[in-house]
Amino acid sequence: MEHSYLIMPVFHLYQLIVSGIAVLMIVQGAIKYFTRGESQSFLKFFVRLFIWGGMAIVALFPQITNTLASFVGLEGNINAVILTAFLLVFLMIFKILSVVERIEQNISTLTRNDALSNLPPKK
Amino acid sequence: MSISPNIIILIPIYNEKKVIKDVILGIQDEGYTRIIVVDDGSTDGSFEVLQHLPVIALRHKINRGKGAALRTGLEAAKILSADFVITMDGDGQHDPLDIKNFVSAFSKQNIDVVLGVRNIEKDMMPPTRKIANWIADKLTFILYGIHIHDSQSGFRGYSAHAIQKIRTKTDAYSYESEVLREIHKHRLSYTEIPIHVRYTPYSKSKKHKQNIVNGIKTLYTMIWNILT
Repeated sequence: MEHSYLIMPVFHLYQLIVSGIAVLMIVQGAIKYFTRGESQSFLKFFVRLFIWGGMAIVALFPQITNTLASFVGLEGNINAVILTAFLLVFLMIFKILSVVERIEQNISTLTRNDALSNLPPKK
Repeated sequence: MSISPNIIILIPIYNEKKVIKDVILGIQDEGYTRIIVVDDGSTDGSFEVLQHLPVIALRHKINRGKGAALRTGLEAAKILSADFVITMDGDGQHDPLDIKNFVSAFSKQNIDVVLGVRNIEKDMMPPTRKIANWIADKLTFILYGIHIHDSQSGFRGYSAHAIQKIRTKTDAYSYESEVLREIHKHRLSYTEIPIHVRYTPYSKSKKHKQNIVNGIKTLYTMIWNILT
């Protein structure tokens, strides 16, 4: 009797990590949207769902890329390592840009408050 | 007896020392004396010029962009209980004679926002700006769901209700597009009126105006605002 494949993983580690991150981002977006966070809209939530949901689907079902590859006319599959690296870089850039954006807005708010402090009193 | 509305003219400026005095005097000649000028961190001494003029001069200590300056001005207008705020560019390209048309649009109809529309052919707009504006108009419709004839015009009028509703976070030129998104989002009523634009050698020479590069930046900001 063969025992070597008794413990066979359903998913690889990278698939779980990528899909975990995607779920986290979607949940975060959903919380913002449903608690009516500042400047949230259905379109924004939908785009987030589409992008991160798409990543999770590609990570969990990589064979779907074969269909995509043949659909767009490319030959061959996407290498899992490149995909993972791309996703991680994308995630980092996304987070860094978010932080930069937040800092920029904070600077603008401070600048605005300073300017308004010199507003002459209402007559 | 009717009470005349509290109309505030709002002008964001950045390095407009050469022309700002004439712009303000031109507006005052039309009978509008409540003028807020937000100096967005100019380095050419514009603010010193403003201090000798009969305007409410506010100053950003550092340059934050036209959108940020407009937001500061609108906040000031709220504090000063403005009924209508009309925004104009500080380089003299907008004609003060058009202000009465904005006021008239507000008076005749129950309108939240009045959008100035440049006559692109007649006003001799430079070709690169025509292309940039055309692209911006189409993208504004695709991304924000509102179709107007001049999505990048800075000559606009806002009612007190509109000022309360509009919430933007863009500091740069994409502010104009973001306002349109807010109009759509809050279902604010709006109308478009023709405006005259005077493209002088001075206004054409300004580096911070809408061009193709800034158009791409605007597109990037619009997409980013949807994603985040």
